[in-house]
Amino acid sequence: MTAASSRVTEPPADLLFRLKVRVIPAIREVWQRRELVRTLAERDLRVRYKQAVLGIAWSILTPLALMIVFTVFFQRVAKVDTGGAPYALFTYLGLLPWTFFSTSVSQGGQSLVVNNQLVNKVYCPREVFPLASMAVAAVDTLLATLVLGLLFVVTEFMPKPTTLWVPVLLAVQVAFTFGVTLVLSAVLVFLRDLRHVLPIILQLGLFATPVAYGMDVVAKSLQVPYSIANPLAPVIDGYRRTVLLGLPPDWHLLGPAAVAAALWLAVGYVVFKRLEPGFADYA
Amino acid sequence: MRDGEIQATRIWKRFRADRQRQLLRDQLDRVKRRLSGGSNAHGWRWALRDVDMAVGQGESIGLIGPNGSGKTTMLRLLAKVMYPYAGRVAVGGRVGALIDVRAGIHPDLTGAENVYLYGSLLGVSRREVARKFDEIVAFGELETAIDRQVKFYSSGMHVRLGFAIAAFTEPDVLLVDEVLAVGDAAFQQKCLDRMRAVLAQGTTVVFVSHDLQAVESICERAIWLRDGVVESDGPVREVLGDYRRTVEQAAEILTPAVGLVRVVKSEIRTPGGDTPVSQEPLEVKLVLESPEPLWASMSIGVSEGPATPIFLLGHEALLPAGQTELRCSIPFLPLPRGRFYLWFGIIESTRDLVPWHPVGQFEVLGPELTPTPRGILRMAPVQVTPTWEVEQR
Repeated sequence: MTAASSRVTEPPADLLFRLKVRVIPAIREVWQRRELVRTLAERDLRVRYKQAVLGIAWSILTPLALMIVFTVFFQRVAKVDTGGAPYALFTYLGLLPWTFFSTSVSQGGQSLVVNNQLVNKVYCPREVFPLASMAVAAVDTLLATLVLGLLFVVTEFMPKPTTLWVPVLLAVQVAFTFGVTLVLSAVLVFLRDLRHVLPIILQLGLFATPVAYGMDVVAKSLQVPYSIANPLAPVIDGYRRTVLLGLPPDWHLLGPAAVAAALWLAVGYVVFKRLEPGFADYA
Repeated sequence: MRDGEIQATRIWKRFRADRQRQLLRDQLDRVKRRLSGGSNAHGWRWALRDVDMAVGQGESIGLIGPNGSGKTTMLRLLAKVMYPYAGRVAVGGRVGALIDVRAGIHPDLTGAENVYLYGSLLGVSRREVARKFDEIVAFGELETAIDRQVKFYSSGMHVRLGFAIAAFTEPDVLLVDEVLAVGDAAFQQKCLDRMRAVLAQGTTVVFVSHDLQAVESICERAIWLRDGVVESDGPVREVLGDYRRTVEQAAEILTPAVGLVRVVKSEIRTPGGDTPVSQEPLEVKLVLESPEPLWASMSIGVSEGPATPIFLLGHEALLPAGQTELRCSIPFLPLPRGRFYLWFGIIESTRDLVPWHPVGQFEVLGPELTPTPRGILRMAPVQVTPTWEVEQR
């Protein structure tokens, strides 16, 4: 038996291993290991704050600095139509989801590569690594939201009751962010050099998204394709409409964006699972 | 499939062997080569070929083999960390894998924080870890260091922390890869005791190690992997015996004596010229050839496994130019029945006149050694003749 098998140089084709992806058990397994997501996120936060002098202030710094820059420059130069709301609030509401997205994608995208020690030595559902990065981004966003409260006080502006729509917008935002993060984290294992391009793409993304300006910059006829291409746009627009202007979200735009986000999530999950057998070999 | 069972059938696993990396340019290169009809086969190296492994609940298996034979890869496949290229792997119940206990430990966190982190990596809930926290710390002997950052730990403390956490996870199948290599003798024994306790609870253990004595002390069955293929699979003593013999033979062939002095002939016999017998006199005869007169400090050693001698004998003498016969008589051979190897060397501080290498092997007749109880490391076999008295008091 031994002598015979050493002569065979290739396994027969019918033996080839295929990873069977069953969505429900896979999700259940991630749910069972939710504590691990928490622990990994906690690890990243602890490690970050152990070294940093400013501590948790770092979470707030990025959106706050950008908000000040945008307020000083865009408001003066570009004269953005905010629908009557203070510009600082207007842009900060765009910066919160954008920062969440960009932190998730840049940290989560690298999560499998950075955690390669764990990926090829400890078993756990691999989704926990991008999820933990998103959890860290979520904590940052939560802290930055406290500043939003402060801004309301300073500008003496009251959020409108339509703020109740926020969970819907949040769902679209998280689905899209998770989808993109999943794709990138998996692809980055095999295309390492992408991590150098990522910051540039994200930098451009900030200006391709209505963070500093409003949705009205885009021509009416192009708004639907724009919303499909960038689901964050109608989400940000939705936050402004509901929180600042007392209007419901623009369903003509948010609907297609929600579909696009769901598609990103589904495709992202499939790509992730398809590439998963190679993670430990190459990470 | 019952908990604690392992069923791996016809496992194949390959890794990239080409020099290209995981970069866009290299991937495009691969695609280009494949499109132009070039074969991709040379870019791969088989780590495992058609490996079968069936383990029953509660069994203890030792995976042995030289470096690069596929032991760790096999363990990773069983742990579901990696997926096979072909074949089926099924493992029943909760799997605890200690592939590299240092992998899950973050240097910037304190020992205590790491206990929770590594615990949840291994699938233990926080509450469970909290309940066993004191036990874990005590097992790792880390009471004074637990609140320090791990980057300030010694490497022994590092491993003790990892093993201590892992030891308390209570899996159905425990996979252990060469974790006992670090840590002092007392901690190693503690780890072995722990593994024995785990076995007693009915856990299945798969143990990868180069330390054959450790394998022998824990496992009942051994699987010997050679170049990704199962060479033999059976009771631990038989497989280890075969393995030791080939390793020694390979060592003999691989070690050419390139010293100034040459060993021309070696003979290991009783003074009467017969096969050596346990507890009887033995005579070692070596013929050496030296190009010039030398003051030589010679060493003779006898080993069972690779390289670790059971005993060493030293002697200093003047070697004249030409051939010299060296005879060493041992009035009482303390070895049990078995196969042993004779090592010889003339070693000086500045140069090796004869490098330390095996010069011959010999059989010893006599009674079998008392079998080693599980969980005790037997370093080398020595036949001692005691008198026992059991007296009630």
